[in-house]
Amino acid sequence: MSLRRFFKRRLSDAEVGLEMENHLTLECDENLARGMSEEEARRQAYLKFGSPQRVREDLWRRNSIAPLENILRDVRYACRTLRRSPGYAFMAILTLGLGIGANAAIFVVINGVLLRPLPYAEPGQIVHVEQTAARVGTDPIGFSVPEVEEYRQLNHVFSDLAEYHSMTFTLLGAKVPERVSTGVVSANFFDVLGVKPVLGRLITPADESPKAEPVLVLSYAYWVKNFGRDPKILGRMFEMNDRVHTVVGVLPPLPEYPDANDVYMPTTSCPFRSNPKMIADRDMRMVTVFARMKPGVTATQAQSDLATITNRLALSYPKSYPAGAGVMAQMTGLEQELTHAARPTFLTLLGAAVLVLLLACANLANLAISRQLRRSQETAIRMATGASSWDIFRQLLTESMVVALAGGVLGLGIAAVGSKLLIAYAARMTPLSGEIHLDGRVFLFVAALSVIAGVMFGALPGFVASRDRLSVLTGSGERSVGSGGVTRARQALVAVQVTLSFVLLMCAGLMLQSLHKLLSVDPGFKTANVLSMRISLDWTKYAKRTELNQFFHQVLSRVTGLPGVESAAVSVMVPLNSNMGTMTGGVQLEGRALNPGELMPQVDFELASPDYFRVLGVPILAGRAFTDGDTEHSPAVAIVNARMAKHYWPTEDPIGRHVSTDNGKTWITVVGVASSVHQYGLDKDLKEGIYLPQDQSPSLTDAHLLVRTRVDPMHTANQIADVIHQIDPHQPVTEIRTLDQLRSAQLGTPRVTATLLGLFAALALFITVVGVSGTLALAVAHRTKEIGIRIALGAPKGEILHNVLVRGMIPVIAGIAAGAIVAMFSTRLLASMLFAIRPDDPLTFGSIAILLAMVALIGCAIPARSAIRVDPIKALRTE
Amino acid sequence: MVQGTLDMLVLKALVMGPAHGHTIARVIEQTSEDVLQVEQGSLYPALHRLEDRGWLQAYWGTSENNRKAKFYRLTAAGKKHLTLETNRWRQMVRAIGLVMGE
Repeated sequence: MSLRRFFKRRLSDAEVGLEMENHLTLECDENLARGMSEEEARRQAYLKFGSPQRVREDLWRRNSIAPLENILRDVRYACRTLRRSPGYAFMAILTLGLGIGANAAIFVVINGVLLRPLPYAEPGQIVHVEQTAARVGTDPIGFSVPEVEEYRQLNHVFSDLAEYHSMTFTLLGAKVPERVSTGVVSANFFDVLGVKPVLGRLITPADESPKAEPVLVLSYAYWVKNFGRDPKILGRMFEMNDRVHTVVGVLPPLPEYPDANDVYMPTTSCPFRSNPKMIADRDMRMVTVFARMKPGVTATQAQSDLATITNRLALSYPKSYPAGAGVMAQMTGLEQELTHAARPTFLTLLGAAVLVLLLACANLANLAISRQLRRSQETAIRMATGASSWDIFRQLLTESMVVALAGGVLGLGIAAVGSKLLIAYAARMTPLSGEIHLDGRVFLFVAALSVIAGVMFGALPGFVASRDRLSVLTGSGERSVGSGGVTRARQALVAVQVTLSFVLLMCAGLMLQSLHKLLSVDPGFKTANVLSMRISLDWTKYAKRTELNQFFHQVLSRVTGLPGVESAAVSVMVPLNSNMGTMTGGVQLEGRALNPGELMPQVDFELASPDYFRVLGVPILAGRAFTDGDTEHSPAVAIVNARMAKHYWPTEDPIGRHVSTDNGKTWITVVGVASSVHQYGLDKDLKEGIYLPQDQSPSLTDAHLLVRTRVDPMHTANQIADVIHQIDPHQPVTEIRTLDQLRSAQLGTPRVTATLLGLFAALALFITVVGVSGTLALAVAHRTKEIGIRIALGAPKGEILHNVLVRGMIPVIAGIAAGAIVAMFSTRLLASMLFAIRPDDPLTFGSIAILLAMVALIGCAIPARSAIRVDPIKALRTE
Repeated sequence: MVQGTLDMLVLKALVMGPAHGHTIARVIEQTSEDVLQVEQGSLYPALHRLEDRGWLQAYWGTSENNRKAKFYRLTAAGKKHLTLETNRWRQMVRAIGLVMGE
């Protein structure tokens, strides 16, 4: 029998009815024509026809599918039952919808970021190779061009090794001159990644020869944004760095990795990279390396091969690899690199969401059991009239399935909205956030989750119901109280709920404290009313030192003259901008000889114009700040931070001391000590640092302008950009942000994580209290008679209260104990996300336990109050 | 009535052209000179079954008394099946005749 007919039974039945009625009328008419009376004509027609009802039934059965029919009947019955208690249905669907929605929203992110394969060929074989100097700093130091060549030749484990770095260049030939992020890559870069173009071709070895015509490959996003997917873009010429570049291809849509580049060019087109000094100097480390492992090579083999090469290089060139620096090459799998920041956060959140859902299921199971106990008479009658235990079980399970699937639909809606909100959050942790959207896998996940949830909270009440015995009908005492087993099951459910909430509250509590600690970190400068903007200069135009200084002097003097501006400065970096690497380097201190192999003191460098400290509000603790007198032609000066002063001159005055950044060729006089600041991030430790005047430093082509304003900083942004455009109309101004924005951006990720976890925990606490108080309320209601007798016999109210509260709190205390043990193990997973707090912080454990106990006690108080108000006369009469 | 013959009779009744249920019953009764008395109700499950198998096609039309009526029409497959059934019937009649010594 076809499904189509099954679902059209009603229509088909109506048709048959009409058909038969027609038949009977015709027959009747004929009989009338034969001269019968009307009554007789009808009677005869029916006699001849037989029973139309039987025919209809016969056909109905023919069109039926028995199991499907049973399910549909159960579903209809379940819907009717639920419609009769809309309060329960609403609560249940909402609770499950929230639980499933939270899981689904986070799963959408995990699906996009962690489960979808990367858009590269064999991504498991691609690795990012980094060179680090472990004893100098944690940041990678990059590779120099000769090193890349050596690693390419000497290794046995990679099928290919590609070179990459990113720079900003001015592109002429579009509507307006534009600053484009440019990936400078070796010819094999796209082969190593395993990427095919959507248009034209990618870079080939022929493009990388010194005499080749310069070519460009556009990123997909840049092609779409600036050229509206114009296929005629191939062959278009653009001028960059005084050379004509031809567009040869367009990349497919890829994650913004390693950087969000607009265009790509071969290494030979980059003026820095093709500089002969750059090619020859082993110590000019500025490029990044990607490699593809040969099939079958393991990460361990590759790592040890890298170590062998490093050792060999260290023996051949001891000056470039001082023993004290601990230089080594390390590799990270591409997949690991793209997802490592997001993985712990989203797995934690998924874990929390699963706990919330479990909690919701436990609560609903409890609710469903009490519903079932109220309906036990109905169940008993059904069983007495022939329903099997399985029929009852199935009916109850169907009911919870209907609720769960309705919750699933609601959850899908919540996920659709929720995952959109999570994209920006995920983008801070992974370049793969563009991959986040609903797909078939998400639907499957939600469907599976709904079914599991339905079974979880439907099975127990179904089991309880199917064991209902006919004794219920005789009105014996067990009625609607439930057996001891049921009571124990309900108490266990309460304990489970308390356990789960404990774990969730613990996670949320730790994250909130961590956030609070991060919020109270003093960055060492005043972030209010400071605007920052990035000015990436065209290096060919400002190649000469004087032109560069002149440009900055003009900018600073004109910007300072603007109304509402208090002071302005230029520097290399904006503080708290964790996206940029650190500028760490060695300095030589006067009068302090280095032992052979010993490393020079490593400090953070920053270039600053005279007003820098005033703009940021960094106090000068001793000596002086930079002045306009510290020029190219005046004696070289430097300011050290307090940490450096204390570390290297603990007992002496650092003012007047000399340091050198060029191995003792020239000496710089320390003229001041500035207070230390958290330059790279609030969660990073304070480090030794040194400031050099911008005018006296090596050329600063990628600068930031910092402006302290008297008014809202964003209001002056346009005026400042106008001033810069008056001085150089082609100079782009980008990344306009206030320091407050940068600070909140730094706190954004922990803040959202803490908020989400807090939300989950609050939900958990709420559900738990409802569960605890609901269970106890039911128990009290069922014990009304018993309590009535006790009161009648003269039991003091205090004793009754005590009795009820103890019964209510026993599962809570058990849950808290279990929760503490579970949390002990599970919060360790949070360790990497916490700042300045241990995952087993005893204070947090204690406060959460007390909080839970208090809240549960309040939840118990309401039913306990009604217990002592029981009127013994009424209680005894109603039974 | 012999098992399975109703289907054949219905198909046969429709060879002359489309008809609705009442006509089909009438045709069977009259052509058999009122020997084959179909319980008219059982005609409808048979029609339903034949339609399911693709031997008949149903459509709504207007009956002689100007009412909406469901008409049935033989399909190509139905005609083929009728030929097959007719042959089988003839063989059966002949075989029974032989046994009965006629």
